[in-house]
Amino acid sequence: MTSLPEYIRIVEEVFEKFKGKPLLYVGKHSVRWDALAKVTGKALFTADYLKLLRNVVWVHSVRTKYAHAYIKKIDISEAARYPGVLRVITAKDIPGINDVGYVIPDQPLLAHKKVRYIGDIIALVVAEDPYAAREAGEKIYVDYEPLPVYTDVEQIVDVKTLKEKTHTRIHDERDSDIVAHYKIRAGNVEKAMKEADVIIENKYRTPMQEHAYMEPEAAIALPEPDGGITVIASTQCPFDARKAIARVLGLPQNMVRVIVPFIGGGFGGKEDVVNEVGAKAALAAYLTRRPAVVVHTREESIIGHSKRHPAVMWYRHAAKKDGTLLAVEANIVLDTGAYASLGPFVAWRAIVHSTGPYRVYNARVDSIAVYTNNVYSGAFRGFGNPQVHFAVERQMDILAEELKMDPVELRLKNILRVGDRTVHGQLLTEQHGVGLEEALKKAIEAADWYNKRKMYSNQTGLIRKGIGVALLWHGNSIGVEGADYSSVSIIINRDGTITFRTGLTEMGQGSLWGLVLMAAEILGVPPSYFKIEQPDTASAPDSGPTVASRSTVMGGNATIVAAYKLRKRLNEVAARMLECSPDDIEIKAPEVYCRSDPDKKTTWNDVVEQAFWLGVPLQEYGYYRAPPARWDEETGQGEPYITYTFGAVVAEVTVDLETGQIIVDRLVTAYDIGKVINPVGAELHAEGGAIQGMGYAIMEEIIHDKNGHVKNANLSTYYIPTIKDTPEIIPIFVESGYKRGPFGAKGLGEPSVNGIAPAIVNAISHAVGIQFREIPLTPHRIYLEAKKRGLIRL
Amino acid sequence: MGEEYSDMTIKINVNGKDYVVTVKPYERLIDVLRYKLGLTSVKEGCGRGECGACVVIMDGKLVPSCLVPAYRANGSKIITVEGIAPEGKIHAIQKALIDSLSIQCGFCFPGIIIAAKYLLDHNPNPSDEEIKEALEGHLCRCGSYLRFIKAVKLAAKYIREGKIYFDVKEVQSKIFPE
Amino acid sequence: MAGGTDLLIQMRSGVVKPKLILDLWPLRKELSYVKSGDGYVRIGALTTIEELGNSFLVSDKRYLGFRDLYKQFATPYLKTLATIGGNIGTGHPMSDAAILLLALDAEVKLSSIEGDRWVKLEDLFVGLRNIARKPNELITEIRFKEIPENSSTALLKLDRRRGHAMGYVIAAAYMALEGNKIIDVRLSFDSIGKPFPGRAYKTEEFLKGKEFSIDTIHESFKVMENEMTRISDYRAPAEYRLDLSKVLMKRCLLLIKSRVERGV
Repeated sequence: MTSLPEYIRIVEEVFEKFKGKPLLYVGKHSVRWDALAKVTGKALFTADYLKLLRNVVWVHSVRTKYAHAYIKKIDISEAARYPGVLRVITAKDIPGINDVGYVIPDQPLLAHKKVRYIGDIIALVVAEDPYAAREAGEKIYVDYEPLPVYTDVEQIVDVKTLKEKTHTRIHDERDSDIVAHYKIRAGNVEKAMKEADVIIENKYRTPMQEHAYMEPEAAIALPEPDGGITVIASTQCPFDARKAIARVLGLPQNMVRVIVPFIGGGFGGKEDVVNEVGAKAALAAYLTRRPAVVVHTREESIIGHSKRHPAVMWYRHAAKKDGTLLAVEANIVLDTGAYASLGPFVAWRAIVHSTGPYRVYNARVDSIAVYTNNVYSGAFRGFGNPQVHFAVERQMDILAEELKMDPVELRLKNILRVGDRTVHGQLLTEQHGVGLEEALKKAIEAADWYNKRKMYSNQTGLIRKGIGVALLWHGNSIGVEGADYSSVSIIINRDGTITFRTGLTEMGQGSLWGLVLMAAEILGVPPSYFKIEQPDTASAPDSGPTVASRSTVMGGNATIVAAYKLRKRLNEVAARMLECSPDDIEIKAPEVYCRSDPDKKTTWNDVVEQAFWLGVPLQEYGYYRAPPARWDEETGQGEPYITYTFGAVVAEVTVDLETGQIIVDRLVTAYDIGKVINPVGAELHAEGGAIQGMGYAIMEEIIHDKNGHVKNANLSTYYIPTIKDTPEIIPIFVESGYKRGPFGAKGLGEPSVNGIAPAIVNAISHAVGIQFREIPLTPHRIYLEAKKRGLIRL
Repeated sequence: MGEEYSDMTIKINVNGKDYVVTVKPYERLIDVLRYKLGLTSVKEGCGRGECGACVVIMDGKLVPSCLVPAYRANGSKIITVEGIAPEGKIHAIQKALIDSLSIQCGFCFPGIIIAAKYLLDHNPNPSDEEIKEALEGHLCRCGSYLRFIKAVKLAAKYIREGKIYFDVKEVQSKIFPE
Repeated sequence: MAGGTDLLIQMRSGVVKPKLILDLWPLRKELSYVKSGDGYVRIGALTTIEELGNSFLVSDKRYLGFRDLYKQFATPYLKTLATIGGNIGTGHPMSDAAILLLALDAEVKLSSIEGDRWVKLEDLFVGLRNIARKPNELITEIRFKEIPENSSTALLKLDRRRGHAMGYVIAAAYMALEGNKIIDVRLSFDSIGKPFPGRAYKTEEFLKGKEFSIDTIHESFKVMENEMTRISDYRAPAEYRLDLSKVLMKRCLLLIKSRVERGV
């Protein structure tokens, strides 16, 4: 019998102790700590720091003219002489390693032999003002040898066979342009196909989605007197940024400091791109010994940072006529663009969830990430799941239509419940918390599913209404992508206030507030006692990246460990002071008393002061490491994630067939998040994710022309939803209790996007009577398809 | 570029204070406000008048400061978020944004606040439709749109009740009740 | 440069790199007005879209097309800077104001030190972003004849989102009815085949004199197919643009009928 690490025991103990008890702070509506700073406009985002600095230099990135070409020669002489220019930096000036790749070292910071997409950087012009830098950049002359440009994965691989086609290799330092390949081989697919009553086979396409966070990327680098560099940057992963910047500069990691101010939205887009943005600023500061600024324009942001992987997915489902799923076969091809970025991880998460939250015991799935000359793709809220959920949930609806079953009934027949194994063979137990059925039932009740489904069938007019459902699951944290750990520091100051430090970052999602609520609950002090410090690699502990919906679970568990240990020590101090047993101590700061004899009391401040004098440490470093995930490379069997967030979405739409215009009337979302720590944060996530998912479904797509140039690199041609497009959103939460989550909580950051697009497209397909297989479903696509089938004649 | 174009001197009144600023003809109002006057509530989200983050009130009208040449502001009165309430106080719309629990990353907030104030100054009891039209040009990627509608209606209610400004210390203490 | 909402963006993208810019904004005092009298409605070239939306035009049931223009134009903060003269001056097909004015058979006054001359708006457009204005001329006024009591105007566009929309297609119309008979009609679009706004004359001819009905309008679609050619681009295919033009034209005419008969 293996003994559990202490930190896991603590989390489980806290889960049991607080289960079902009334809580003071966790689960209650509260206003976040940065509310005033944000409404007064005083909150400083990266570019705002410029007002505090003097003597800065501006760094302009000169980008390539071709999306795929060899570089024969770069002539910077005229640019270097341009008035106001301090230096022009090219690849050969890089003191360390010219690479900013996040997972694999395939991405040069500055191009030196080859360019592979339109955002590749030829040189950095460092000048006294941004206008001079930009103008000097136009005086850089490059000899290119253009190469064929590939803008569609199907030019690189065959989707059915997954074999690479003959083409001019994009990454000629590797032996293939397929950068990752994962497999699931479970059961006996051939046999299942033979036994099937119904087989449904379809090809699906999802677009490249742009994060479009309102704050474009920015970084300011300050040279330190000891030769180090401090970088203020809008990043989700300060420690990864530090690692990358140190590598580019050839400095030890402790000579590079990354400070994270307020971030104007991340959604995964500020995960790896800051390796590049931060390194650019740091390099300029390092070489000129002056504070260096990089602020991307919106256009640069759109062509220069990672995107959501466009996907081509081929699926085949086999089922019995009573709706039981027998087998799933799929090929998932992700376009990772010019560089891998997080592509290998995205392709992995995609395959893990590829069969949907259903009992599937016969499966043959392959997922690959492929290079093209498009803008590269990386992390974006959902991370492979929005793509596969679109395909698999459309498959389920098409299957339902074929079987003449209600889509909800079909799903209920196959969903995962406690005691079931996933397609990877992972046994789901009470401890994981499996609230999928409850979520689905609550969603369809709130949406009045059965009545509306009946009402909207067999419409004949030009204005059609539709209702659609989609289920989702989302593994929490990073699974086998890496070592899954997090940490926080809780420091009780002598005056009783508390400093909270973590390397997890705040980009709007407010999960740090959830961590404070947890610490507050365990320590017994109000959240107002806490101050959340800016993440700073010089003082915050490495908490892993703020990604993968892991802040609440992983950061939360680390918080619980720290708070638990502190509380234990404080209980002992108070027990000595009040002469009762440590288990008897109740802390409801500012009061501290013995539960069995409330007249024996003292104050929080007194306990803190006494602890100080007794030499009892008032700070604690909380560390949590997730139990290692398991994944077999050949079969895809194992335990890929510590647990899964489950959910159900019901969408109601109105379609105007004459114009193809879609109005999403209503989205009912039900998520099983284990336990709701911060209700406001959870609701905002459900709403925000719904709006992003809706954009993905009906209006967003980054379009490249055949030369690899982005056609719509601004916010009037790349459409994101406005206030006028926002539907009614009804967020519902189910609490199934994940035993190894903080107070039972699971993550919500990403799952809130996964199910939206398939639910909307299922609803549109229902309304119009046509099965759509490609998003975004813009008006022209709906109209032309409907016209083709004779639904409209003008 | 700079040397060919001579400096211009402009006199502007921002949030009630007079300033004399030297600008180049091609400089934008947004840069003057942010970097020369330190009013970083004005945000640049796109530089093309497509996102609404840089909106300020200039001579009583709503303008995108990223598309206003600085010299055009000569002789103008400009209001940014820093100036919509007296020192030590916040405006009803700011309080309403807190109370309606709208806050996520906050980057779009200054634009929303200016646009909402402008709306409420002209229309003390706006309908949902009117609020959506007023905020149509303000993009919020975090997705707080539905709450903005609630916030504006709540702010309208506060103003009708005579509560245009709220004391910061009081608000602070209610955010973190003892 | 008038409002600057187009020029400044072009400069930012590096498409246009002027050495000198003549800023017309100081002329706003003289050139911002909306007035009627002498049988014409006259609008100063530097009238902003916001000022148009607050003028008497939007409450006159004949000119509700201006209310459509105002409501569907970009965003509130761009309405303060965008001028009607600028909207025409860019010579771009997606110029909402120009399209509506085309349906009103507007004329444009071009002024220079040599004097003033009037040009019909439809003759002003010669190419993409190219209008027949001499380099030393300024657009100073736009005028159109007041339209009769039994007529009205409308402008519609549609895009993949409902807020801040450019439009796949922009359609505007003017129609005069006598009872149920169409006695006059003008239809204008962002493009009928050239890269600038134009009128669908043949379709207008077909409809003139006929009884207003959905069937008649549907029949006119065939005429429109012969006179309008659309382009496919990354935003939408030509077939969709053509069909959407028909549908928006139909909806404009239905709106106008409702405005003539019921004032809304």
